[in-house]
Amino acid sequence: MADGGDWRPPRPCEAYRAEWELCRSAGHFLHHYYVHGERPACEQWRRDLASCRAWEERRSAGAQRSLCESERARVEAARKHALVWAPRQSPPADWQLPLPQEEKDQ
Amino acid sequence: MAGARGERGPGPAAGEPQPQPQQPDACRVFPERPAQGKPPQGGLLSRFFPSDQKCQLMLLKTLETNPYVKLLLDAMEHSGCAVNRERHFSCEDCSGNVSGGFDASTSQIVLCQNNIRNQAHMSRVVTHELIHAFDHCRAHVDWFTNVRHLACSEVRAANLSGDCSLVNEIFRLHFGLKQHHQTCVRDRAILSILAVRNISKEVARKAVDEVFESCFNDHEPFGRIPHNKTYARYAHRDFQNRDRYYSNI
Repeated sequence: MADGGDWRPPRPCEAYRAEWELCRSAGHFLHHYYVHGERPACEQWRRDLASCRAWEERRSAGAQRSLCESERARVEAARKHALVWAPRQSPPADWQLPLPQEEKDQ
Repeated sequence: MAGARGERGPGPAAGEPQPQPQQPDACRVFPERPAQGKPPQGGLLSRFFPSDQKCQLMLLKTLETNPYVKLLLDAMEHSGCAVNRERHFSCEDCSGNVSGGFDASTSQIVLCQNNIRNQAHMSRVVTHELIHAFDHCRAHVDWFTNVRHLACSEVRAANLSGDCSLVNEIFRLHFGLKQHHQTCVRDRAILSILAVRNISKEVARKAVDEVFESCFNDHEPFGRIPHNKTYARYAHRDFQNRDRYYSNI
């Protein structure tokens, strides 16, 4: 987390509001139930929106900590599953090579 | 060709689940595709009067307007695999009911113009195949000899492309609500594997079961399951914001 005067919320406050609104929508309830078989949990988006606004209004250190913790938890949750394959360090060498017909034409 | 239904070459990934045998039958599914290593054929007339004009027009619209595809294209460019429409897409006539496929041996996505019904279908097929291409770009995916790798990419493609949306399942007369999405993803991944691998359904199912927990929860590059274009737009917004995001957590 960047410290000092350079820090700002990881997302614009408008993004937190949009995510909270989407999470609370009837459509999202249906999608979430269809995928996970349970109702969605939207409270964390509301807390993050409040933290974002608190930081914007009065540069609250507590709000900054809360936001960072929340987003780190999201990142950890997304990464907790072991990968099936090894990540590449560079893209496939042949991705941009001409097709065989193009080589023949050249 | 690796990926969802629509296979060509030694191990395509298929776009639409449809059982296919290995290479010799894959060649029958994609009769316009040359055998591996041989250049594609095409007469002089086809250069001036392309029979794939409708396919190309739908593809162009998808590439320019669909939020799922635009995010995938940005993510691939970020990973070093910039996509060129003329190089990386091919509209062809295919046998059977295949909609498309990804050919890892030539880094090309095949679109079965005789089986893609409308613009929405084109967008979904392109999304599906680009997910395979994205996996090929970012990871060492052994399309041809590791069925678990193939299973993982098929799970991801079925999960993230909209293949298993509630509406699409209803159109297939598959009625289910609570967690039905996961059932659909498993089933379609198995069908896609069987389309390109000469293995038993049990072996395919076992591979899907082994990788499902990990691959179903791998939402890259979307960061979430994009249930519709709104989710895809939010995901694209987050992708474009990633520098700010990771530097402030």
